[in-house]
Amino acid sequence: MHPFWVIVQKEIADHLRSWRFLILVALLFLTCIGSLYTAMSTLREAVSKDDAQAAFLFLKLFTVSDGTLPPFITFVGFLGPLFGIAMGFDAINAERNKGTLSRLLSQPIYRDYVINAKFVAALIVISALLFALGFLVMGMGLIAIGIPPTPEEFGRLVFFLIVSVLYVSFWLNMAILFSTRFRQASTSALAAIAVWLFFSVFYPLIVNLIANATFPKEAVTPDSVLSHQQFVQALTRLSPSQLFSEATTTMLTPSVRSLGPLTMEQIYGAIPSPLPLGQSLLLIWPQSVGLLAATAVCFALSYILFMRQEIRSRN
Amino acid sequence: MNAGNRRIIWLLALLICLASFGGGSVYAAGLSLYTPYPTVSVTPGESIQYSVDIINQGGAIDVADLAVTNLPPKWEAKLTADGMSVQQVAVKPNDSRNISLQVDVPLDANKGTYRFQLTAKGKGSLPLTVTVSEQGTFKTELTSEQPNMEGHADSTFQYRATLRNRTAEKQLYAMTAEAPQGWDVQFKADGKSVTSVSVDANATKDIDIEIHPAEKVKSGTYKIPVKASSGSTSSQMELEVVITGSYDLELSTPSGLLSTDITAGDQKTVQLKVTNTGTAPLHDIELSANTPVNWEVTFDPKKITKLDAGKSAEVTATIKADSKAIAGDYVVSMSASAPEKSADAEFRVAVKTSVLWGWLGVIIILAVIGGVYYLFRQYGRR
Repeated sequence: MHPFWVIVQKEIADHLRSWRFLILVALLFLTCIGSLYTAMSTLREAVSKDDAQAAFLFLKLFTVSDGTLPPFITFVGFLGPLFGIAMGFDAINAERNKGTLSRLLSQPIYRDYVINAKFVAALIVISALLFALGFLVMGMGLIAIGIPPTPEEFGRLVFFLIVSVLYVSFWLNMAILFSTRFRQASTSALAAIAVWLFFSVFYPLIVNLIANATFPKEAVTPDSVLSHQQFVQALTRLSPSQLFSEATTTMLTPSVRSLGPLTMEQIYGAIPSPLPLGQSLLLIWPQSVGLLAATAVCFALSYILFMRQEIRSRN
Repeated sequence: MNAGNRRIIWLLALLICLASFGGGSVYAAGLSLYTPYPTVSVTPGESIQYSVDIINQGGAIDVADLAVTNLPPKWEAKLTADGMSVQQVAVKPNDSRNISLQVDVPLDANKGTYRFQLTAKGKGSLPLTVTVSEQGTFKTELTSEQPNMEGHADSTFQYRATLRNRTAEKQLYAMTAEAPQGWDVQFKADGKSVTSVSVDANATKDIDIEIHPAEKVKSGTYKIPVKASSGSTSSQMELEVVITGSYDLELSTPSGLLSTDITAGDQKTVQLKVTNTGTAPLHDIELSANTPVNWEVTFDPKKITKLDAGKSAEVTATIKADSKAIAGDYVVSMSASAPEKSADAEFRVAVKTSVLWGWLGVIIILAVIGGVYYLFRQYGRR
């Protein structure tokens, strides 16, 4: 076997045997059950409320909630980053601190195999886990409501899971970046969590402040309001969690037709109808590209950092 | 007294006898028949009651067969006395007997004067004269004051007919109409749909007749015979319906599909089919569209000068979507309108986003992958 895949295999094995991973899996699994339970209990009301979207009943399993527990889509958005951070915050510095990194690099392998393999192994584990959870919810939902998903619904769910994997891998790469930058695992974990908290808690507040401050005060015209709205939206889209929530909401709610502000001209004559899958994909394409680019940038930064680092044995 | 005097007495007696003829009493062989009103005037359907005195001026009991002779056909006469039907009468000497004669004038008796006699066979007779003052009937009359109506093919024609029962009995009439296929004729009496009506003797009844022409009726004049018939009598009349032709227009596509898709900011041609589904030709059919804001629909040709009944014309519509249209379905309603009639067709236009920006995303991804690959080359293998 190629030495790269040997390292990947070892990494995956390490992940799967660690307590950290088990705890995370247990957490996510409970989340799934909880969200499925709330979805099941509210599905009936949700369907009777809007008949237009009754065709996409199966997707509701992932999006409806009775308010006690958030739906699956929110859980993934909330726990996904945590999961990614947990998988990556000690990728490099733990090896370094244990002194295993220099031992590993003394093997006849290219140096970048290490960081690549760390990333690929974590990505495989994340993908497997997310797809398993997604399909688990689908399967249990299928048993519970007895309505099989249509091919379109299935396609939407698969794309939702792919976007989720992309989102989690962004946080994974960010954590790997911090793990290469900071010597202490706790520092890198804190830094990653700080970034996550910043984007999920403080960033919306800051955007709100800026939006209020820059709101056109005199001579308010529809055009100025519109451009201001677009500016604010562009700001919020700097946050990966915003990109993720826009992408997944669009994927799982086919009736979402646009993510930006809409003018009356655009709405006039429009029929409230679900978008076909291809159009929904086209709608979230920028968000997906943004997430992918951010992921790639984080990876590239950690790659450069890692390759330039001096690696010595501890003694 | 000599023989000459005796002859004069006989002559006088004869004169008296002749003179008394007009008074209605007949002196013959001892029996005279007397009625006070030998000439009467009646209307058809009436019955005449004669009170007839039979006077015996002879010295012996006289018996005579009674009969009514020369009675016109269908007339009926009945002789009664003391509540019994009488065929013979016997009168004591110097006495008289009263019998009654009932003559039923039939309903369809013709106008005129009728003469007949009540005879005591071989003994005398009483001529009776009846004048029927008006033309009698035994029939049904079905009439309408306005048997002709004009209207569109999709209008309802309401006629009012009067059914008169000119018989002496109550009649139950079945109402029938011989309408062409696809037509609907309804009879209404007192606001209810009926198929038969009963009319009392000599009474009338108003009947409403509602006629719905067939859906695809051609313009023209249609005669619809309407008949009221009971077992013994019937009457018929003709209603006339003049159809001026109907105007109807349909707007669709040759395939009937009323949806299309379009890329935002792009244009698409749709083939439209304008069909005159009426029965009269339509002129100057204009095509127009009600679109979302900033959309444009142009038609070629813009106007159809003439479209015959049953014919259809094809029009090419070019829909141009707003470049800012959001993905999803929009309604574009198009209408073809002639002065007489218009037709709408609602198109469901699915707007697709331009994939141009999608390719930009692909380029960004390729650039990122290229950058990472460059890093691999730069740092990776050393």
